[in-house]
Formats: sequence, structure tokens, C-alpha cells
Amino acid sequence: MENSGVIVQTNEQVTQIEVEKVRTPFLEFWRKFKKQRMAMIAGSFIILLFLIAFISPFIAPYSSVEPDYDNILSPPSMEHFAGTDAFGRDIFSRILEGTRISLFVGLSSVFVGAVGGTILGLISGFYGRWLDSIIMRFCDVLFAFPGILLAIGIIAILGPGLGNVIIAVAIFSIPIFARIVRSSTLAIKSTVFVEAARSIGAPARRIIWKHIFPGTVSSIIVYFTMRIGTSILTAASLSFLGLGAQPPSPEWGAMLSSGRDFLNTAPHVTFFPGFAIFITVLAFNLLGDGLRDALDPKMKD
Amino acid sequence: MLNRKYLTALLTSLMVVILVLTGCSGKSSATDANQKPKTEKKQEAQPLAKKEGNSLTIAISSNLVSMDPHDTNDTLSGSIQSTMLEGLVGFDKDMKMIPVLAESYEASDDAKVFTFKLKQGIKFHDGTPFNAEAVKANIDRVANPDNKLKRYSMFALVDKAEAVDEYTFRVTLKEPFGAMLNNFAHPAARIISPEALKKYGKDVSMHPVGTGPFKFSEWDQSDHLTVEKNPDYWVKGLPKVDGIKFKPVPENGARVAMLQTGEADFIYPVPTEQAETLNGKDGIVVENKPSIVARYMSMNTTKKPFNDVKVRQAINYAINKEAFIKVVNRGYGSEMDSIIPEGLQFYSKQTPYPYNPEKAKQLLKEAGYENGFETTVWGANNSDAMKAMEFLQQQLGQVGIKVNVEPMEAGTLTDKIWSVQDAKDAEVDLYYGGWSSSTGDADWGIRPLLAGTSIPPKSYNVAYYQNEKADQLINGALQTADPEKRKEAYAEVQELIWKDAPWAYLIVEDTMAGKKNYLEGVYLLPDGSLNAKEAVIKK
Repeated sequence: MENSGVIVQTNEQVTQIEVEKVRTPFLEFWRKFKKQRMAMIAGSFIILLFLIAFISPFIAPYSSVEPDYDNILSPPSMEHFAGTDAFGRDIFSRILEGTRISLFVGLSSVFVGAVGGTILGLISGFYGRWLDSIIMRFCDVLFAFPGILLAIGIIAILGPGLGNVIIAVAIFSIPIFARIVRSSTLAIKSTVFVEAARSIGAPARRIIWKHIFPGTVSSIIVYFTMRIGTSILTAASLSFLGLGAQPPSPEWGAMLSSGRDFLNTAPHVTFFPGFAIFITVLAFNLLGDGLRDALDPKMKD
Repeated sequence: MLNRKYLTALLTSLMVVILVLTGCSGKSSATDANQKPKTEKKQEAQPLAKKEGNSLTIAISSNLVSMDPHDTNDTLSGSIQSTMLEGLVGFDKDMKMIPVLAESYEASDDAKVFTFKLKQGIKFHDGTPFNAEAVKANIDRVANPDNKLKRYSMFALVDKAEAVDEYTFRVTLKEPFGAMLNNFAHPAARIISPEALKKYGKDVSMHPVGTGPFKFSEWDQSDHLTVEKNPDYWVKGLPKVDGIKFKPVPENGARVAMLQTGEADFIYPVPTEQAETLNGKDGIVVENKPSIVARYMSMNTTKKPFNDVKVRQAINYAINKEAFIKVVNRGYGSEMDSIIPEGLQFYSKQTPYPYNPEKAKQLLKEAGYENGFETTVWGANNSDAMKAMEFLQQQLGQVGIKVNVEPMEAGTLTDKIWSVQDAKDAEVDLYYGGWSSSTGDADWGIRPLLAGTSIPPKSYNVAYYQNEKADQLINGALQTADPEKRKEAYAEVQELIWKDAPWAYLIVEDTMAGKKNYLEGVYLLPDGSLNAKEAVIKK
């Protein structure tokens, strides 16, 4: 009996080890994430968007810049799925081409903002004291402006153009990331393993990058995804106001703006680009929600 | 979980709405872009719309500024003033000069002395008799720089104004100015009661008292201005309506809706995009007529590559004007065929530059720009101007000229174009703009835009066009009031500048007005001003 007991024990240990192997953080995340149906749909839609962004020149039925003056403002039909605009350009093709612009602006601006914000947040949270005060007061100043107003201000200084929109959106993303990363940093800084690392004499740089930064990644990822939606929206708004993409670029916000005059007579000119913006932003937000639910250790499933 | 259920439901219903909308949009916007708009035809076809009462409501596009004609520089305020105030001379429907308060008029040969015989027995709304002294009081007021009136510049040349006898008025100029009669026909030269000028002083802008068919009634600056019938009007039988209410409605859609519901009897402007769908329904008639608003793109003739006349002509050949009218103005306009629109005095028709990209490429090649070049067009940031500039970008792209479009708001434009102190500092390459010569004379259509002395900041020659021969002719035409001599000079100027092509000549816009079909006698003049003197409501 004793022997068998030992065997059982060993078996138990073996299974325990096996289970631990299976439950890596990523697989654990995937297991939780799979359950979020909306987020899964949103995720696949976003993958589709990326695909479109890469292959749009090959699948677009018409050129996005070539005008056709004999066919202006024609309603949706089998020839033009989303109709044509005031210059006779195929709106469907333009939306496909515009996907790349919107995704590029969204991703790159948030990426720049996230990198800047994360570095500032880590420094501010880890070192504290006056450095913390300076960085956080700087963030408060940026927070005091409504996002779009700040972006308009930055554009006013830099001049209109898509590149400057990216910079503007990036700048107003910085404080948000800085604040989130700072709070995670503060929490992790006081944990035992950081204490341990510190007591064996690990340098600050190592503690920040090897021990604290990985702990903040999950909240960064969640916020990153959520932010993309917002920044696509902001970029579109700026283009709508004529501060972003310049003609003939098929940016969605600019297309939306060009249809304003025809709201009564040709609603398709505004409807389709508007719908593209809506569904893309929605997809990123749903994906972000799903990621948060899956990544947050406090969430029970 | 509940949340998610709602979300699914929401998304599904959204999809349904989208499908329905797509279906609808197909039907509602099935207008044929190829058809030349015809607005006259449908007028008789529909029965008269119902109308209660005998007063009118006219919806206009922006707020009114002032009711003092001497201190007004917007056409709209001037139009409203025309119901209450009249000048010595004026314009008819086609911008031809007609006597109004003057019986007759004559100019001396050297274009320095102008004499008006006045009509007799006319009284202002406040009972003051209309006579030469009244006219003198007005002209003295506007020609006095100390009064700082906006229209001083039009009368700055006045040396003295005198009342020769009770009904003869004479004005003498410091130097010859052949177009002076037109300045008298301009809204700025309307006559206010001298008593009112004394009584109200600067506040006369809120209390206009004139000789017109309507009397001022009230002006609520945030909402409307109303005028009422003047029973003692000097023209027998007029006015035929009891009063007019002018209501500023800046939003295009709202203005159109007011006409549709009958809240307004007349609106202008009608947005060109909606003219087609609006016309012929609900008893609405849309009227379009050639205006004197010219649209052009100026090229900075002092800068490379636009200093080469071949490049400038190439650009003229490269633009399809017909397509421009169709795309930008929805068909409501006509090709520009001289440096001034047809509605102006002394217009002489030139041979238009036909659309010919091949010829344009060849000219560019001859000028040494075989591979094209890159340039920038500036213009206003309203949607029409942006559409126009994008169109020009497409057209010039076809002959290898890469154009960057830079729309700017009015303040920036002023800074970057009109306030440049030295021609050498001017950054402008191409500028998309327009001009309406509200005196109806060729001089004001050419001199401020193309004379060598008119370069910014002095005036509006944004092409920095300098041509001695042209300048001589422009000035020469002002030295005389003899129409024949002036005509000759202007014919020569037009031919010369047309060939020199400092602009890409584009189009002449149409005026667009919408009215209910029971209304007659209200119309727009080619300069975009309104005439409602003879308004009649048919029953």
C-alpha cells in the first residue's frame, strides 16, 4: 500500500507538471479569448482589413484616382458597388485603397504614442519623486485639452498633411499610455520579486526591462488596440476638416467630407466611407474589450 | 452576457438599415449627369401653389451687415437696401444702365463733369422732398474721407458736387474717369433722405429712409428684416405686395426646406446640387441665368515656369471647361470667353481655348517642360473651391503637371496673397478665385485684376501681370466717357490679355434662385443682387 501510495504521488506530480506545461500564459489567454465571440469576429474582421490593405491595388475594380466625368454621382449599381463620387470615381475602390491609409495612420500613431508613453510611464513610476512629478504634470497639461482640439493645435503649428496627423495623434496618445504604465509600474515595483532582484543588486535598467516592463505589457496591449479605433476616428475627423489627407488621397474622412454637399441628392457618397469608418472603429473597440477580458487576471470567467 | 445579446441585435438591425438605405439611395439620386439642366420648361406644367396673404418671405444666405448704402460692401445688404432706397441711375435685368431718380444724364467729353436732370415730385418716406440738394448731401457724405465710409473709394475722385438748380445736379471729378456713371448706378450711390442723415447720423444704417417702393419696418439682427408697402411710391401701381420679410438662413438645406414647405416664397442661392431635384415639384421653379461672376485660376507670371506664355497657354488648353461646369457647378454655368463675363459693358468675345491635351503637351515641350513640373494651387477652403481645385489637379495631371492642392481659410489667404508687400516675396504660384464686377463696367472687371498698378497689396492682380500696352489701354479707356472710344480700347485689351493668358480662363457662374410659381417680378441681377420692386403674387 505504501508503495502504491508513493507511485500515485509520483503520478500526481507528473500530471501536475504536465498541466503546468500546458498552461503557458499565451495558451491561457487564448483559451479565455476564444470564448469571446464578438471579439473573435472583430479580430477576424481586422485580419481581413489588413489583407485588404495589402492587396487592395490588385482587387480594386477601378482606379482610385482616375476620374470619369460622364459618370458622376451615379448611385450604387452592379458596376459600381458603392456608386461614384463627384468626379465619377468608384467609391468602393476608393474605400479599399483607403483601408491602407486608415490602418497605417491608426497603427503608426498609436505605436509612436505607446512607445513614448511607456518609456515615460516606466521612468516616472520607477524613479518617482521629482521626475514623477514633472512627467505627470506634463501629462496633466496634455490631458487638459480635449484630444481633437490638441490635434488641431498641433496641425496648426505643423501644417496640414497626413504625416502631421500621425504626429498629432501620437502626441495626444502619449499621456494616456504614460499614466497606465505608471500605475502598473507602481504596483509591480512593490512586489516581492522586484524587491528580491533589487536586493541581489540588479541594476535599475535590468529591473525595469526584465521585471517590471513584462508585467505592464498586457495593459499596454489592451489599450493599444482600443486606441487604434480612436485614432482612426481622430485622423478621419482631421481629414474631414481638411487638415489631414489632401486630395486626391482616398482617405475615409476626406471622402466623407467631400460628400457633404450631396447629402440629399446622393447620400451614398457620404454613407459608404462613413460606414467603413464606423465598422473599423467598432471592430477595434470590440477586439480591445475582448483582449481586456482575456488578459485581466482579476476577471473571472 | 446581456450586453452582448444587445450588441448582436444592434448590429443586425444596423445591417437592415444599411440595406434599406442603399436601396433608397439608388432611387432618389437617379439624376442624369449628362443632361444639360433646363429649368425653364417646367414652369407652366405645374398648377399654382397655394399662398395665403399678400406679403412675401425671402430666405437669403447670410446675415445682413448694414442698411447704410454708403457703408456697405456686401451684395446681399445692398440687395435688401434696393427695396427701400434708390439711386439716380440703376441697372435693369440685364445689367444695362437705366435712369431711376434721374430724368436724364450726360457726361462731358473729357469724362470729368457729369450732369443729372432729376425727376420731380418725388418724396422720401419721411416726407422730405427729393431734389438736387438731397443728392448733394449724399454725395458729399460718401466722398468725404473723414466719414470713413466703406464706399469712399468709389467716390474718392469727386472734386465737388453741386446743386445747379432745384432739379439739376452736377458732379466734377479731380481727374477723368470714364466709368463714373457706373459708380452712380452702383448700390453705393443710393440716396438717403438728408433729414434722416441729420437725425440719425451714423445710426442711419439701422434706419434707412429712401424713396423706394417699400418702407423700412423692423430689423431684428438675429432673425429677420421686414419692409412694408410705401403707398405713395412715385411709380403708379407699385408695389403690388404688402410687405417683404427677409430671413437669413445660412444652411443650404434649411433654406431649401423653407421653400419646399412654403415658409419662404423665394430663396437664393439654391445649391446647384439640389436644383435639379427641387425644380418642378411642390410648385417650385428654379431659375438660372448667366451671372457676371467669373471663375479663373491665376498664374504668377513673374515666376518660373509661368513666366513663359507657352506654359500658360498650355494650361488653358489642358483644362476641359465643359467638364468643369458639369463637375463643379452641376451644369449651371457657361464657358468664359473673354477676360470679363458677357454681362459686363464693353465685353468682346474671344476665341476660347479648346480642350486639347495634345496641343498642351506640345506647347509644354516647346517651352522645355517635356516632363512636366510640380506646382501648387491655393484657394478658399469652401467645398466648391476645393472641388474645383481637385478638378484642376486632375486635368493638369493628364499633361504631366503635378499640382498640389492647398485650401486655406480666408485669414491665411489674406496673409499669404493679399498682404504680400513686395512682388519678389510672393510665394503664390496658382490661385483659384473669382470676381464679380458690381459696377457692371469693364473697368472694374479688368483694372483691379490685371493692371500693372494693381499688384498686391494695392489691389487684386495676383497673377502679377504687367503689360505696358495693356496698362496704356486700360488707362486710356478711363480718359473719356465716349462709349465708342471706350469700347474700342477695351476690345483691344481683352484680345491682348486673352492671348497672353495670365489666367486659366474657366467659367462664368449662373445665378441660382428658387421661387414658388405664384410669385413674379422678383429676380436676380447678373451681379447676384436681388430686385423685388415689382413683386406680384398671382392668385
